[in-house]
Amino acid sequence: MLFFGLLAACSSTHQDDRGDLRDTYENTNRKIFAFNMGVDSYVLEPVADGYRSNVPTAGRRAIDNHLDWAGLPSTALNSTIQGDLENATLATIHFAINGLTLGFADLTEDNRAVEKRDFGQTLARASVPEGDYLMVPLLGAHSSRNLVGRVVDTLTNPLSFYQAGNVGSAMRTAQIPARAVAFRANNFDTFNDIKYNSLDGYARTRSLYYQMRAGALRNSRDNLQAPSATDGQFDAFFDEPEQ
Amino acid sequence: MIDIKGLITKRLFAIVSSLNNARLLSVFAMIIWLAGQTSFAGTGQIDVANKLVTKMIVEVESILSTDIDDEMARRKNVSALFDRYFDLPTIAKFSAGPYWRAADADQKTAYKAAIRDVIIGTVVRNFDRLSGLKFTATQSQAKGAQLVLVNGTFTDSNQQLPPIMVGWRVVTSNKAPPLILDVEIENISMLVTQKQENIAIIRKNEGRFAALIDAMKQRSQSNN
Repeated sequence: MLFFGLLAACSSTHQDDRGDLRDTYENTNRKIFAFNMGVDSYVLEPVADGYRSNVPTAGRRAIDNHLDWAGLPSTALNSTIQGDLENATLATIHFAINGLTLGFADLTEDNRAVEKRDFGQTLARASVPEGDYLMVPLLGAHSSRNLVGRVVDTLTNPLSFYQAGNVGSAMRTAQIPARAVAFRANNFDTFNDIKYNSLDGYARTRSLYYQMRAGALRNSRDNLQAPSATDGQFDAFFDEPEQ
Repeated sequence: MIDIKGLITKRLFAIVSSLNNARLLSVFAMIIWLAGQTSFAGTGQIDVANKLVTKMIVEVESILSTDIDDEMARRKNVSALFDRYFDLPTIAKFSAGPYWRAADADQKTAYKAAIRDVIIGTVVRNFDRLSGLKFTATQSQAKGAQLVLVNGTFTDSNQQLPPIMVGWRVVTSNKAPPLILDVEIENISMLVTQKQENIAIIRKNEGRFAALIDAMKQRSQSNN
């Protein structure tokens, strides 16, 4: 709420000065991006580096499995709302089977069979507009639609309601930083390449974010021949007269 | 009232009736041949693109097998590979976006050299990460008359990484040999990302194309 209040207080960036028309608050977003990069340099990058160096591969895989498992109820719920009952059933089965180990071991040995679904995708399927591009402190890039989706996913995840005493509560609380560290560690070189070698890390992050979200909206199981998110740009390019 | 529909039907019937059987056969044969040519052009386009990507992958594997972690040697090999398999003029034009039209000939030449250095630098920096990956082609698709998307998956022979979806966007044209325009990794186009970054830099610099070239040169120099 505080973030939205701050953002509302910021003046929007003039259309001509924006690198992307969806980035209404580009000037403010760039400042928040710089702040996030600072946090990354002082906290996340060293922690992720230590995590990569000190936790064996099997341990890291177990943590990844657990984090994926914890997201399965949201996937089941959103798949159901989106009408993809096959994915909802798969997510439920995977959740039940791997629940025997609290998700730390993937007993199904095929966790890619389930496609991750979130409420941002559900809103997109309901034709809710994408909204503005927002750089959120500590959480990173979001469209306003996906930020709402993220909040809804957190609030509606059945695991949030499950009372399992102090241990369960501590595990749920630890999931947020664990997710950030695991994501940073799993994409360590890619992230560093953007951070240290790109011409404009902010613009690159924005482009990657939009392409990733567009990719997530393509239902690969049902629609292998669907146009990719960037097809339109190439079509327009080749339709242009020769220069 | 004039029965237009009836007149058209009668006219068509008259045309068909005026043709003898031999003519009809030749017309049908021509239609079938034309339809065959159209599908053949699509298949031919895809075959050519598949062959190009396969050939390049074989070459990458050969470079990786003899790689000795020498950056100079890597740069030389990657540069040769890029020049042989990638369509630099189209990459340059696409990645400059609408600013390409306004750029003069000298700027275009300087930009082509700069983007080539940036791309080669990126590949050289990340070359280690290709080690142990095996490419398997899945399904290629023609994207319009000039492009083919060769899809495939990189799998880690050590099974440490999950499979990675990759797509090679190949320009196929009758006038020139096929060349690669873009690489898509897990639905993320490297070229579109570069283009959007470039546009952001030009806009930040009040539309000056030269500012992008300078930024690219500086980046390449600091990475070397």
